[in-house]
Amino acid sequence: MTPPAIDMSSTTTATTTEDKPKNVGFRVGLGDITPNNLGQLKRLNTVLFPVVYAPGFYKDVLEVGEFAKIIYFNDVCVGAVCCRKEPAAGSATEQNLYIATLGVLAPYRRLGLGSEMLKHILEQANLPVVAGQPKIVKLYLHVQSNNEEALEFYKKHGFEVTEKCENYYPQFEVSDAFKLEKIVN
Amino acid sequence: MRDLPSKEANLFREILKCYELKQYKRGFKGADQILKKFPEHGETLAMKGLFYNHLEKKELAFEFVKKGIRHDMKSHICWHVFGLLYRSDKNYEEAAKCYAHALKYDKENIQILRDLSLLQIQMRNLEGYVDTRHILLELRPQNRQYWVAVAIGYQLLGKPELGVKVLTTYEETLKDLPSTPDYEHSELLLYHNTLLEEAGDFQVALDHLDTIEKQVCDRKAIKEKRAKYFLALGRLTEAEAAYRELLSLNPDNMGYFEGLGKSLGLGSDCQTDEDEVKILEMFKQLQKEYPRSNAAKRLPLRYATGEAFVKVTDEYIRSMLRKGVPSLFVNIKTLYSDSAKQAAVEKLVLGYLIALDKSRGFDHSGAVVEPPTALLWTLYFLAQHFDLKRETEQALEYINRAIEHTPTLVELYMAKGRILKHAGDHVAAMAALNEARELDLQDRFINTKCTKYMLRADNMADAEKTTILFTRADIPNPLNDLVDMQTQWFSLEAGESNVRQGQIGRALKRFHQIDKHFNDYTEDQFDFHTYCLRKMTLRAYVSMVRLEDQLRSHPYYVRAAQDAVQCYVRLFDKPDGSESEEMEGMTEAEKKKFKSKQRKAELKAQQEAEEKKKKAAATAAETAKKAGGNAAAAAAAVKGDEDPEGTKYTKCEDPLGEALKFLQPLQQLADTRIETHLMAFEIYVRKNKLLLALKALLKSIKIDANHATLHEQLVRFTLAIQKSSSAKTLKPSVKAVIDKHWSELYGTHGQDLTAFNAGFIEKTKDQGSVAHVISAAMSVYLIDPSKSLAKAEELLFSVEDEKRFGRTRTLENVILVQKTLKGFKSARQQEWKAKAGVWFPNAVAFK
Repeated sequence: MTPPAIDMSSTTTATTTEDKPKNVGFRVGLGDITPNNLGQLKRLNTVLFPVVYAPGFYKDVLEVGEFAKIIYFNDVCVGAVCCRKEPAAGSATEQNLYIATLGVLAPYRRLGLGSEMLKHILEQANLPVVAGQPKIVKLYLHVQSNNEEALEFYKKHGFEVTEKCENYYPQFEVSDAFKLEKIVN
Repeated sequence: MRDLPSKEANLFREILKCYELKQYKRGFKGADQILKKFPEHGETLAMKGLFYNHLEKKELAFEFVKKGIRHDMKSHICWHVFGLLYRSDKNYEEAAKCYAHALKYDKENIQILRDLSLLQIQMRNLEGYVDTRHILLELRPQNRQYWVAVAIGYQLLGKPELGVKVLTTYEETLKDLPSTPDYEHSELLLYHNTLLEEAGDFQVALDHLDTIEKQVCDRKAIKEKRAKYFLALGRLTEAEAAYRELLSLNPDNMGYFEGLGKSLGLGSDCQTDEDEVKILEMFKQLQKEYPRSNAAKRLPLRYATGEAFVKVTDEYIRSMLRKGVPSLFVNIKTLYSDSAKQAAVEKLVLGYLIALDKSRGFDHSGAVVEPPTALLWTLYFLAQHFDLKRETEQALEYINRAIEHTPTLVELYMAKGRILKHAGDHVAAMAALNEARELDLQDRFINTKCTKYMLRADNMADAEKTTILFTRADIPNPLNDLVDMQTQWFSLEAGESNVRQGQIGRALKRFHQIDKHFNDYTEDQFDFHTYCLRKMTLRAYVSMVRLEDQLRSHPYYVRAAQDAVQCYVRLFDKPDGSESEEMEGMTEAEKKKFKSKQRKAELKAQQEAEEKKKKAAATAAETAKKAGGNAAAAAAAVKGDEDPEGTKYTKCEDPLGEALKFLQPLQQLADTRIETHLMAFEIYVRKNKLLLALKALLKSIKIDANHATLHEQLVRFTLAIQKSSSAKTLKPSVKAVIDKHWSELYGTHGQDLTAFNAGFIEKTKDQGSVAHVISAAMSVYLIDPSKSLAKAEELLFSVEDEKRFGRTRTLENVILVQKTLKGFKSARQQEWKAKAGVWFPNAVAFK
């Protein structure tokens, strides 16, 4: 299945000046995660994250609709984002969205793909809710405390550190994590 | 119809009508009604038989039709019905005889004549067809179809000029031509023009084109034909204009470019430097004119050489890598027949890799930053390039780097599988393909490829499980869908896997399956003989008939036939047939152990199959119930295969006769392939048909006197003659013929095989061909198996010499050497394996 393409050539070539090298344009598109391409998501996660995700994770991914997406660069699958909805404490009409994974293969970083995915998630979270469904009020996630790049990325998109979770990743040498949040709606 | 009172006569007319309208049950009742009063009325009996036939009661059908004929030998209806019965049994020969008989009693019966002509064209009795069609035309000259059919008959007979005459006469009888373009008339006119073209006078064909143009719907055909005729007549300026016009309609048609080149006096090969400059200039113009045409960009690579080649190729490959075109290598490798071009491409793309690694562009200018996918596709290209050169290590290095770069791309794992396959590791290749498959479960192509690799690794169970993911799921045994869909690649690969595992019966079953598919294709054309005439799709019809005539030269048939012949020959040599390749050369104890292991596996598979069958039966019964129950049909569907092992084939009386049946179509259609005659020799020499074996050898010599296997067959031919001669079974007349041709086979050599073989070794020693060494070693061994083993081994081990044999020492050839040693029961097999393992570290055959 070919995902809908977004032409990035205008945004990337806009910065070109006389002495800077010219970037070649490329196509970016988001695609659904389906039982048929789940293998690609698994492969991505194995390469991108040190955590091994349980089968249940992949089952849930198929059910969150627009909150789990694969991103294509020139028709090649190079990244993914997976979220899950969680009930907000003490409220039946509100819920939180937890960003479990968001990553792009190393050669394809710094091309705006992560932002593209995050933008999509924010848009979806801000959509008016169907009557009777709880509405999303908060996005949150965890970042390993030494991951400067990720911290900067999320801060740039309006997330704030709300908590330091000690020994959040007991299996790693750097086991502490920051919790980041962004209020929506 | 005869001898019936008017009431019954009317009824009889009615049942004839019922047959035409396919109301078989009603017709059957009517026939019974007549027979109650006139139980011996022949024509009614025959009709009753015909209805039985359509009600699926074949035996009763023949019984009644024959009874009918007995009671009325001179009725054309009875004979016609008998013919129809044979036709529905696909026994065309007998059917034609019956029709001919029927025509004796009713010479001008249109229906019978038509039916007869259909059989004649189906059996390619073209003279008969033309005759019958002439009679029909005389009877019904007002009908267009009858004119056209005669013309087609003449064309197929190779007399297009007579066909033209027929059509011209017909067209002259037409008073008012259709005022608006009429498709059928248009096709008729174009067909007429095609006949003129085949008759070879292009000027006449061109003139004719002008006269019919206004009435033809297929404008493109007119334009293409005109351009072609201009070119053939040497009217180059007009040809050029015509091709330019065609290009404006479709700037990606390779043929149009070629035509344009020719009309500019620029042939396809052996061009001068001047021509090259001109043709490249032409393409430059065309690229400007048609910037979106891929053909205009790709074709210059074919014509350019030297510096110019590097320039155009550089541009072309860069743009493709940038775009990310997965098929780029497949497209480029066709240029590799020219080794200078291959080297140039390699240099270019290796250069890109260095530049991309260092400065993210295809060169070091720093002017452009390529997308990360450019590096990915470059690595992918290089992996395939070095795989083609069989430089496994390099190829694996590039493909692994690509996978590390982008581990989600299906193509990369497929390429890796291919590299491993070429390196001889079928199991690892299969694993790579399965990884690819799991990345995209809805991709039918990769699923199919993966299945094929599983079969190559002789993993039948997984192959079946994988392939049925894409077959119909709603039938009791989804594997049967592969047969219904005529999935030949599967039968072929599975059959070859069966052969490797010593399951000759199963293998033959699959090869016969392929043969049946080809029979079906031939059958399938039957309806088109009437349909196409009615619809006037004559050009397409004739090209179909010609295709059908060549059908069995299709690579799938050729391969299946070769495999089947080998199986039958093996059955003849070893009638118990149960020895697999693995078992050759084992000790008795090892064989016993191996066999019991195989039996256990088979038992287990059988149990699983039983279980599956039960389950399938249950589901089938369920669906039948739901569908309102045709229980009988469901039961029939579940009954399944009564001879899964194919013992019918392994126990056949005359394996060589069966082998011949596969060979015969090849002798007709693949007469120029040496393999056909090499196979023929293998069969005839075993049947002790020395003259036919001689004929096969003479044909082979004509095609390639230097062929490696041919030499070994020549040696065996002499041995067969000597054996026959000492057994006193060699007829003098046969010997005389062989003596007459002796020098064609053996030159100046007499019966001294040792000298003949020594001459061969001397003659081929500078060829550096492993195949010839094997043939020589086999010959040494065959001439004197008791004494010459050491000499034969020594010959085979000469292949070690890198300098002499580096070029032809492919994996396939090295495996052949190993098999030859095994055939000798040589003690040096392990020694060979060890050496081969160094040359091909991935190959499982040497582990």
